[in-house]
Formats: sequence, C-alpha cells, structure tokens
Amino acid sequence: MTKEFEPKIVAFVCTYCTYAGADLAGTSRLKYAPNVRIVKLPCTGRISPMFILKALQKGADGVLISGCHPGDCHFTSGNLHARRRWTVFRSLLNFVGIPDERIWVSWISAAEGNKFAEIINEMTEKLKTLGPFEPYKTLIRDIESPAEI
Amino acid sequence: MGNTLEEHIKRTRQLLECGEVAMVIGYERGSVENRRRATFVKEVSELERMVLDGLCCENLANYLVREELLRSFDGKKVAIFLTTAGVRSVNILAAEGQINPDCVIILGFEAEKPGELDSAIKMLDGEHVDHYADSIQQLKSRGFVNDRAQVIVKLEMMSAEERFAFWREQFSRCVKCYACRQVCPMCYCRRCIVDCNQPQWINASAHDLGNLEWNLVRAFHLAGRCVGCGNCEQACPAGIPLMLLNQRMAQEVLKEFNHFAGESSTQLPVLADFKKDDPETFIL
Amino acid sequence: MAQILEKNKLDEMIARLNGDGCEVFGPRKNDTSSWYGKISRAEEFCFDQILPDRPLKELFFPRTEPMMKYEIKKQQVDAENYVLPKKQRVIFGARPCDAVSLTIDDALFAWDACDEFWFERRENSVIVSIACNKKDDFCMCTSLKSSPDVSTGSDVLLHELVDSAGWRVSAITPAGQDFIDKLGDVFSTTSTDVSVKPPAEVPVKFDLDAVIRKLNSPEIFESDFWKTISVRCVGCGVCTFVCPTCHCFDIQDEGDVYHGVRRKNWDSCSFAMFTRHASGHNPRPDQASRWRQRIMHKFNYYLERFGQISCTGCGRCSRVCPVDMGVTQTLVTLSTNGGK
Repeated sequence: MTKEFEPKIVAFVCTYCTYAGADLAGTSRLKYAPNVRIVKLPCTGRISPMFILKALQKGADGVLISGCHPGDCHFTSGNLHARRRWTVFRSLLNFVGIPDERIWVSWISAAEGNKFAEIINEMTEKLKTLGPFEPYKTLIRDIESPAEI
Repeated sequence: MGNTLEEHIKRTRQLLECGEVAMVIGYERGSVENRRRATFVKEVSELERMVLDGLCCENLANYLVREELLRSFDGKKVAIFLTTAGVRSVNILAAEGQINPDCVIILGFEAEKPGELDSAIKMLDGEHVDHYADSIQQLKSRGFVNDRAQVIVKLEMMSAEERFAFWREQFSRCVKCYACRQVCPMCYCRRCIVDCNQPQWINASAHDLGNLEWNLVRAFHLAGRCVGCGNCEQACPAGIPLMLLNQRMAQEVLKEFNHFAGESSTQLPVLADFKKDDPETFIL
Repeated sequence: MAQILEKNKLDEMIARLNGDGCEVFGPRKNDTSSWYGKISRAEEFCFDQILPDRPLKELFFPRTEPMMKYEIKKQQVDAENYVLPKKQRVIFGARPCDAVSLTIDDALFAWDACDEFWFERRENSVIVSIACNKKDDFCMCTSLKSSPDVSTGSDVLLHELVDSAGWRVSAITPAGQDFIDKLGDVFSTTSTDVSVKPPAEVPVKFDLDAVIRKLNSPEIFESDFWKTISVRCVGCGVCTFVCPTCHCFDIQDEGDVYHGVRRKNWDSCSFAMFTRHASGHNPRPDQASRWRQRIMHKFNYYLERFGQISCTGCGRCSRVCPVDMGVTQTLVTLSTNGGK
C-alpha cells in the first residue's frame, strides 16, 4: 500500500493573535493535523512575500498567513496593510499558475483556538485532495539535475 | 502641430540660456536609421541634435534617478521630454520621495502611433506634473482596454497547470541580465532584493526556479507602481511578455483599491496605504 | 571538384548522426527569440536569420551550470562532482563569427586552471559553420579583421549555392574531414565547379589598429571620454550576456547550510555588484569605469595576455542594447578623434 500523501504546510502567524490562538488550541488539547509548521512573527504586516517564495522553494505544498482580525492589530494597522499585500500577491501567484488554493489567509484571534484547529484541518484535507505541488517540485528538482548538454 | 515642437525647442533654449535648468533630457538619432535614444543637452549649441518623432518611445524618467546624472544637476532643475506615462513615473518618484517634482520641467508629448516613424506628434501643455492631473484621470477612467487585456483574459481562462506551464516556458528564456530592472524608472533601489545574500531570498541562478522567483518579485514590486511605459518589455533580450504581468497587477489594484499608479505627486503607494473597508473576500 | 550538401538531405543527415549517438544542434527560432538549440528534424533549423539572438557560447558555457553537490552530515561532508553527459554533438549552421568566439575563449579557459566543462564540450563538438551572405547594420566582422566567411574555429565551412538548394562543403580541420567521411553519401560530389553566393559585403566601420593604439596611450584610462560615451548606459548585463566571447562567471552556493549545489553562473562587468567589496567600497564606482573595463578588457588586456582581441564583430551588443549604446560607437569614436 502506498502511504497517503501528507502535505507540508507553513503557517506564518502574528504573535499577538494567531500564535496565541494556536497556543490556546494546544492548551485546550484540541487535536489538529500535524502537517503545519508555525513561523511566529511580530505582525502580519511583517510577513513579506519573500517568506512565501522561500516556503515554496523549500517544498511547502501550502502556505497559511494568519493574524489579528481587522481592528485588533497590536500595531493598529499592520493587518490592514497585509490585507492589501495578500490581495495583490495572491492574484499575481494565481496569474502565473500558483493556485489560490495553496495560499490561505485567515484572521484568527487569541480566543479562537477552535478556529485555528479547524482551519489547519480543513487546509490539510484540501491539500490532500490537491496532491503535492508537482509543478513547483519539478522546478526544485531541476536545480539539482545535471546539465543536459 | 509641427510648430509646437518648435515651441518646445524654443522653450528649452530659453531654459538653458537663462541657466534655469542644468540639463535637458530628450531624444536624438540612434546608431541606425530606425532608432532613437536618450540625449543629454547642457549647451544651447547641442540643441540641434534633438529629435522628436514616433520612434521616441523610451520612457526617459529612468534617467531622473540615475546617480551619475543627478550629481551633475547641481541643485538646478532638469527639463525632460515625457509622455503622460513618463509624467506618471515622475509622480510616483515624487510620491516616494525620490525627486522633487518642482525641479522637473516637463516637455510633454504624445505620439499618435508610438513606434511608427511618420506618426503625428501632439505636444502637451503643462510644465509641472500637477498640470497633467486631468489627463491622467481620463486615462484612469478609460481603464485597460487593449490587446494585452484580451491576452490576460485568455490566460485566466486556462487551468492553473496550463498557466504555470506557459510562464515556465516564457521565463525559461530569461538570462538574468536584469535589463528589465535597469531600464525601469521605478527600480531605483540601490541594492535590489536579488543582490542581497544575507539572507538570499531567491535563487540568483538563471535556472527555471530562479527565473520564476525573480520575475515574481519584479512584478510584485511594481504592483500599483508600474505606469505601463513598456521600457522593460522593450529591453528584454529574451522577448518575455513582462507587460502582461505588469498590466495584470495594475488591473488588480484598480479593481480592488481604485488605485491608478502615478495619479499625483502626493498619492500614497497602494501597498503603503489601506482603507478600513478594503475587500477581503478571500480571508477566512 | 566539390562536395555538395543539399538542403533536402538534412533530415537524412540528422537521422544518420542520431543513429551514431551524436546529437545535432543548430539555429532555432520562435516568435520572440532565436538561439542555438537541439534539432531533431530539419524543419526546426532556421537559417534565414542574420544570426541567433543568443550566442554559441551557451552550448559550451551555459548561463547556469551545476558543478558540485554537497551535503554536510554530523561526522562528514559529502561532495559529489557533476559529470557531463559526454555526448558527441554536431553544431550545424553556426555563424563564422560565433565559431571564432570559441577559439578566443579557449585561451581564457585554459589559462591557469583548465576549465573541464568548457573543454569536454569543445572536444565532443564538431562545428559546421555557414558563411554569411547577408548582413545587417550591426555586423562588423570586417572591422575586426575577420570576415563573413572566416574559417577559424569551424571544422567544416559551408557556402550556400547560388540556387539556394544546398551548400558547398569544405573541411577545415581533420575533425571536419572525419565528419564528412563518416556521412559519406549524404554529400554529393560534382566534377564541375559550383557557384556559391558571394560573402556578405560588410563595410569596415573603424580602424582596429587605431583603436588599439588609442587604448595603449597612457592618458586614455583617466580620460573623460568614458563618462561621455557611457552617459546613457543603464548598467544592465545584456551586452555581456549576448556577447559570444564574454566569459565572466560567478560561483554561487545554492541551498541551505547542510545541503546545496555549487553553480557557475554568468556574471557581467556592467553590474555594480560585480566589483563591490564586502566593505561596501567599489573600485569601479560608476557606469563609466565599468564601460571602460569592458572595452579595455576586450581590446587591450586580452590582447596583451592572449594575443587576441576578444571581439568577433557579431554586433549583438549593439543590436540588443536597450538604450542604443553598444560597443560599435565607442570603437568608432576611439579610432577617429575621440578619447583625447
């Protein structure tokens, strides 16, 4: 039997809301898919598109960006700036064939441990149906392949 | 209309003679018959080499942020031949604190059929960026109705895999010469993100992954800043349709945030701004 | 007596070569660019262009090349060299100016350490060039004391027949003679003389000796000439990347701390980063000094070191320059009154 595909998810989260939310999910003993690797940052406004490219470069099948709900940002407007950034960047990625379904964005507050667990589960399920991000993985593999000529 | 070109030339002569400007940036005949190129005139006697016709397509605003040239301005003003796209570039450069728009004297023109030698040239009134506010608004309300928009629609109808394959093929020809960056008036960073190696965010090599990453970063950094002058696509030795990416981004910011690059010299960059009710349909 | 290769025999030639385990490369083209690429059917060849956008060096010195793979483990470091496929290849339809470039770069790549990537590919390749009978405004081989039908660097040289149905075949090197002998009856032999199209008449644009003399004069290095001539240069790398002889490269380790690939990538002296020190100091601080380096390297330093000019006169640099600068104008100015 072949092993079921387990997607790798990188979650870039802000420390004030989503990270605290993930913490709550943990302390509440909520069970969620172990496919996620969390990277904690001060604010969603700190999350650069470079991070997403790096995650994909290192073989992520999906990326989650998550932070405070509008109005809750510790720095007042970091998440509102981020909102614009991801609107634009996701549409760019989509336009070159890196589908929306692999780049998720959510607002998860410190009180929403449940929502964090749900989103991770939902995302893992979705990525399982999509399968590995083969087109990108081909590019990564090609870096190491020897010259053809 | 030919007369008004003479008026532009007369005005430049006047500006040079009274010493108001340090330099006039315009066009001269290129190395072969059908080429025009940038020229930098400091003396009245050099004015005669300037030309203006349908072949003058390069957006000269790029030279306003060239360090070597800036030094020679010596605090004086510069006069420069610009199309409306060029004026929008100046607006962005001013809004981003790169130049003082009051130091730029605009000699506006527009070719009816850019790229064609016998195209009629229309002179535009207004020497200051602010004088172009109305015509830029008109451009904005017209939106993006062109052949490129059709290609974009066609691309968007493809599946993600097909689009990925399309762009992979396009980018596979990229040699990382960075001509697209160097000719772009908006790419004025002293140290580009691809030249940074602590950390090295994207691959510097010109393999398919490195090329995809570079082109994504370039397009993203120009989102809401590109004025569509086409310098990059013109310069690309590999013929990559860079303007498809740029225009797709420009359409996105217009649709989502009603942002049109270079509307005024005080316009906030689209990604340095926000509204409380910005759309967020994609956020869970 | 002359040997002829008819154009309708190209498919047969390709099949025979492939059958012998030999790959065929040649000028190709699509809507937006042209290059020397792998050919599997004769219809893929594109002979009617002046020359491909991208230079022949790409087949010997790719723009990015993996050299070594490394993996750092707890107790040891594993490093593995990349080995080239060692396939025999025929490059059919190269332009003479591109073929010349290979002999120019041979000197550099054999200089102190021998570049095995370059020389392995060189040894495995037979170059079949086609003499030019067309030219454009940028061609300047004659100015470099070369010609549109120069045989240097080629193993076989072809001249197009007057009726355009084929080429007259001349072996230049023993490897070229081998190539002809092996293919045998793909070529036809005529007892009469055949007429071929005359080579393109490429006008001489400047006096090379005058340029060399000027660049040798002590005052030129610090001259303001470089500032004036390079004023519109925006510092992209197009001219160096399309140049058939430009050979500068950068070594990059790609990957993370524990695992990665060491690559050899094209680099360009027109980039500011090319000479920037770790301290931030840059000995070539402006575009003028970078342009001076490019010209001096090609027409002075290279000559001094290897006895050759590092330019074949293909004109690609001027053809593609986004700001219409190119090498030609600099050389013309240097050869006449400029650079005082």
